[in-house]
Amino acid sequence: MAMHDTDVLVIGSGAGGAVTAVTLARSGRSVSIVEEGPWVDPDATEPFSLAEMVAKYRHGGSCAALGRPAIAYAEGRCVGGSTEINSGLYHRLPGELADEWQRDYRIDEFGADALDRYAARIEDELAVSRLPGAPPMSSAVLERGAAKLGWRAVEFSRVFRYEPSGRAVKQTMARTLLPRAMEAGATVIADCRVSKLLRSGDHIVGALCDRQRPDGSHEELVIRADHVFVCAGATQTPALLQRSGIRHNIGNGLKMHPTVKIAARFDHPIDHGEVPMHRVTEFAPGLTIGGSASRRGHVALALADAGSEYAAALADWERVAVYYAAIRSEGHGRVRALPRLRAPLVTYNLTDGDMSRLARALLHLGEVLLAAGACEMYPSVTGGVVARGPEDLVQWWDATSRNRANLMTVHLTSTVRIGENRDRTGADSFGRVWDFTNLHVNDASLLPDAPGVNPQGTIMAIAARNSDHFLSQ
Amino acid sequence: MLWFEREVVAALMSPTLDDAERAAVESYVDQTLRSMPEHLRAGVLGESLLFGARARLAHALGRPADAGLRGRVERWKTSQIDVVRQYVRLLHSLVVFAENELMPSVR
Repeated sequence: MAMHDTDVLVIGSGAGGAVTAVTLARSGRSVSIVEEGPWVDPDATEPFSLAEMVAKYRHGGSCAALGRPAIAYAEGRCVGGSTEINSGLYHRLPGELADEWQRDYRIDEFGADALDRYAARIEDELAVSRLPGAPPMSSAVLERGAAKLGWRAVEFSRVFRYEPSGRAVKQTMARTLLPRAMEAGATVIADCRVSKLLRSGDHIVGALCDRQRPDGSHEELVIRADHVFVCAGATQTPALLQRSGIRHNIGNGLKMHPTVKIAARFDHPIDHGEVPMHRVTEFAPGLTIGGSASRRGHVALALADAGSEYAAALADWERVAVYYAAIRSEGHGRVRALPRLRAPLVTYNLTDGDMSRLARALLHLGEVLLAAGACEMYPSVTGGVVARGPEDLVQWWDATSRNRANLMTVHLTSTVRIGENRDRTGADSFGRVWDFTNLHVNDASLLPDAPGVNPQGTIMAIAARNSDHFLSQ
Repeated sequence: MLWFEREVVAALMSPTLDDAERAAVESYVDQTLRSMPEHLRAGVLGESLLFGARARLAHALGRPADAGLRGRVERWKTSQIDVVRQYVRLLHSLVVFAENELMPSVR
């Protein structure tokens, strides 16, 4: 059995883990970052391709939260976590939500002003910016449709750097904060899964790991640490804590943004290289409309979801793009570690109100795409009529039922919520797990609720805030 | 993959694929099924065993297995029973994605 000693152990290298690691390493701490997945060159695969799914997605992209209906979800499993596979769109947490969460969960030093200071720091570090020049057609059509309807639409910033050649480079954690943490002395241990945390009373003394060697063989590794930050995401963080016997309000409050989609066919070619950066925010934060990855494989998947004949539309795929509508859900789910199994059981219960909101979301998405010039729309509802005009949309209302809706999400949060109300939270206002002196969570698990927008900016701002608080102690 | 899963995957593939392309799609589906969370894979295996037993019974009773399977798979795509619809949707999604990402002839 191999041994490794460190001052701070960070488990997980995504948005939360990378911010934690770079902040603590720059302060002079000895930091080791453990990542279950491999280190993959960010340029090794095309974004959203099959090769990327195989190399960087957990379970090859085939995860689902069980419930009625089941909800497919995607997570990264590689150095950099989900920042390696997401769209790179950047949002600050809406101020009203920050204030609401502070009040409802009694979170100290958490208001909108405090979080905005940390968000500004992250934006500066990652060069968060708008697209220079005009947006691509796939994005512009959303703005056009919203304008025709008198709805609000916004072009969002992205975590991208723009090279003089015009190439846009997503500023993933493997490209940015992790190398910077290493420059400050941190160590990254990839292909290393933490089986459980090692406890001594109310203290964590280290972690028992299963490390894969370059030749494919495995070895046990024990990492001894003075402080442990678990940043493995909203499904893996609670699962690890549960495997380690830590269960108080751990894994109970899972939240997500359930999402419906439409494959929309236009009478003109549409680009497929980038995820649209416009969002229709008329109904935000309860409902957000935007564009999805639209490689040929995604177009085919979205067309197939309607259950109708789609060969002609697929043959014309260069005029087809995929769009989504995501809701903030009233429902909630759970994450449970299962004995002797590596993957946790993830469940999610949508309320009847959620199903109504999803139906309304699908209709609004159809409205804005029709206004944008779509001539044919395939909804992600089995047996949902292929809509060619406003009169068809109303049929989607009844069709969006529990046994016909095909839902997915990429945003999972809230399985170890923060706040001083111990009855509702798993960690204190700064992410320290209740009843432990040196165990912290610092990732999407901490968010008290789903934010209604891409959560990466919120996760990073909270992680920076909590890391600063840790250093101030 | 189980025998019946191979049969369903074959039934879902585009008829224009040649043998090498069919093998590539089947390999991707097999790899992804192996990567699934264990409890989800166990559920899919259970359904495959159940549906496979039914297909073998139909074959033993003299019904043309291949044509019968294609028809059943098409019906399952729109089944009102969620687990049945999700079973074929999972396999269909993997086949469709692989065909369209990997295969020049489908493109």
